[in-house]
Amino acid sequence: MLKYVGKRVLLFIPTLLIISVLIFFIIQLPPGDYVTSYVAAMAAEGEIFTPEQIEGLRAQFGLDDPWYVQYFNWMKGIITRGDFGYSFEYGRGVWSVIMDRLYLTLAVSFVILVFQYVVSLPIGIYCANHQYSVGDYALSFIGFIGTATPNFLLAIIIMYIIYIRTGNVYLGLFSTEMLQNGMRWEYVPEFLGRCLIPILVIGTSGTCGIIRTVRAQMLDEQARQYTLTARAKGCSEAAITYKYCLRAALNPVVSGLAGSLRTIFSGSTVSAIVMNLAIQGPVLLAALKSQDMYLAGTIVLIQAVLVLVGTLLSDIALAWLDPRIRFSERG
Amino acid sequence: MSGAKDDVILRMKDLKINIKVDEGILTVVRGVDMEIRRGETVGLVGESGCGKSLTSKAILGINDKKCKAEGQILFDAEGTGMVDLLSLKPRGKEIRAIRGKQISMIFQEPMVAFSPMYTIGNQINEATLLHITKDRKKAKEISLDVMKKVGIANAEKRYDQYPHEFSGGMLQRALIAMALVCSPKLLIADEPTTALDVTIQAQILELMKTLQKDFGMSILFITHDLGIVARMCDTVAVMYLGRIVECASAVEIYGNPMHPYTQGLLGSVHKIGTKGQKRLFSIDGTVPLALNLPKGCGFYERCSKRIDGVCNVHDPRLTDLGDGHRVACFACTGCPGKEGSVHE
Repeated sequence: MLKYVGKRVLLFIPTLLIISVLIFFIIQLPPGDYVTSYVAAMAAEGEIFTPEQIEGLRAQFGLDDPWYVQYFNWMKGIITRGDFGYSFEYGRGVWSVIMDRLYLTLAVSFVILVFQYVVSLPIGIYCANHQYSVGDYALSFIGFIGTATPNFLLAIIIMYIIYIRTGNVYLGLFSTEMLQNGMRWEYVPEFLGRCLIPILVIGTSGTCGIIRTVRAQMLDEQARQYTLTARAKGCSEAAITYKYCLRAALNPVVSGLAGSLRTIFSGSTVSAIVMNLAIQGPVLLAALKSQDMYLAGTIVLIQAVLVLVGTLLSDIALAWLDPRIRFSERG
Repeated sequence: MSGAKDDVILRMKDLKINIKVDEGILTVVRGVDMEIRRGETVGLVGESGCGKSLTSKAILGINDKKCKAEGQILFDAEGTGMVDLLSLKPRGKEIRAIRGKQISMIFQEPMVAFSPMYTIGNQINEATLLHITKDRKKAKEISLDVMKKVGIANAEKRYDQYPHEFSGGMLQRALIAMALVCSPKLLIADEPTTALDVTIQAQILELMKTLQKDFGMSILFITHDLGIVARMCDTVAVMYLGRIVECASAVEIYGNPMHPYTQGLLGSVHKIGTKGQKRLFSIDGTVPLALNLPKGCGFYERCSKRIDGVCNVHDPRLTDLGDGHRVACFACTGCPGKEGSVHE
């Protein structure tokens, strides 16, 4: 098993190199560069640059070099100094921009992930055990609606309802007072309340997907011969559900975890913008729009690392869950 | 073989099983009467879809929710005496105390009868832990003991292995071990050798015979293989379209088959050394669908001895010919009019 993990980790290196080249190549593909969009933005505000000034900016940011030279310099910085480059937009190192929002992003996304599984697993099991009952139909109906409704729309609807009911607009995780006075104990309830909206909004879509998966898997497992064997042995329905069906039904759910790690890091972009959440997703979008290439490149690169790590973790989890996978790895 | 009357451990009375489908209600089992005595092996023979598996699963109450069973299945349960298994809640405690403990079952395909997620030992232990002892160490000892009895070599090592590390024959042995671990009174064997190759089949059948003597249990043997029946069973019940059409001792059935369907079945078995007959006998026609069954005998359309005006009008019921040989056929028992022979 250790050997297997080691092999997989070593494979990360060439994979990441290829991915980073692709990322960099694609990010610089659109015509123009950061200076172009910066000059355009400034022009919109009435400040006009002379061609000499523009050239000066280009030289300063190193944008005159061909893209592979820029890539090489970027990579060299990352590998030798752990320097992920400079964010033109923020005027400081890329890493410090990312760190700004990292903890909040992680906290919000992690809570959402836990919420998804805590809510969806029991509902999925219930729906499978009571197939075609009123409860199953009702929950499935809600599930489909939840899957079909775009998150940002749900966010707007919920915020609208809250506004109508309370007269307050809950935008972002922190109120103005919180930002001004710093965190205090009396703000905790309100903060938790504010957290609930993004959790509900971003959580539901994933939740519904997992419910459908769990339900379908559980139904599959219940039709299996070994479920019948267990019943013939005198096992209780609870033992059949949890020991036999659920264990086998978890496989696709665990595989699905691989992608979750990436989502945890960047969060949900569009919904975050709608709800004014200070998490990573909107930063990436802005960086791509303004061609702040090192910032965008770094975020995408970290996402790639997380996908790789997530895949490895879910493979390990699968091997732990399913003895058949465990043994075939040895061979 | 045939003992005193109170030696009956299982008695089915007019068992009917209905399945709800979109087109209506399928009556798949249409009134089965059967008795199993202590230590006896009863063969339930019939072609695919005649209701033999449903009948056997109804005993344990493990049929699908869509199947509704009517009638009575009386079982001589330990401690409580005769209970009607059908009156027990299918998910309730009472029936679960009987399942696996007093009546257990082995299935057709051992490869899928075990969960791939747990070791064989874990799955054999389960029944012991449920019914006999809560002590895991003791349960393991019992399991290992039974595993050795069913001929699993190297049982200690096998105990910790997963189903995919077993061959089909070994898995069937493990499945038998799992069924026998609580020394049941009745073992239901639903085509236990169908998925195995012939040499393994013979081994498994020998094993079952030996174990039956050791454990003193009764076996309900479900199969479509008449060769196995001849080898294993004391009594044979032939099932056709949800009914038992003939029931007698194995010797009687083979020596003196009465029902045209039984005769057809026996005629279509290939015997080594038979000369002259180039083609195997086959029964004409197909089994009618159990939905909207025609009046009269279910075998009427395919029968060579049918009596028009009788067999397609009246429904024959099992009638004792006097020596324990029971048959449901007007051609054998005489035309309706006699009391008790017609049910219409």
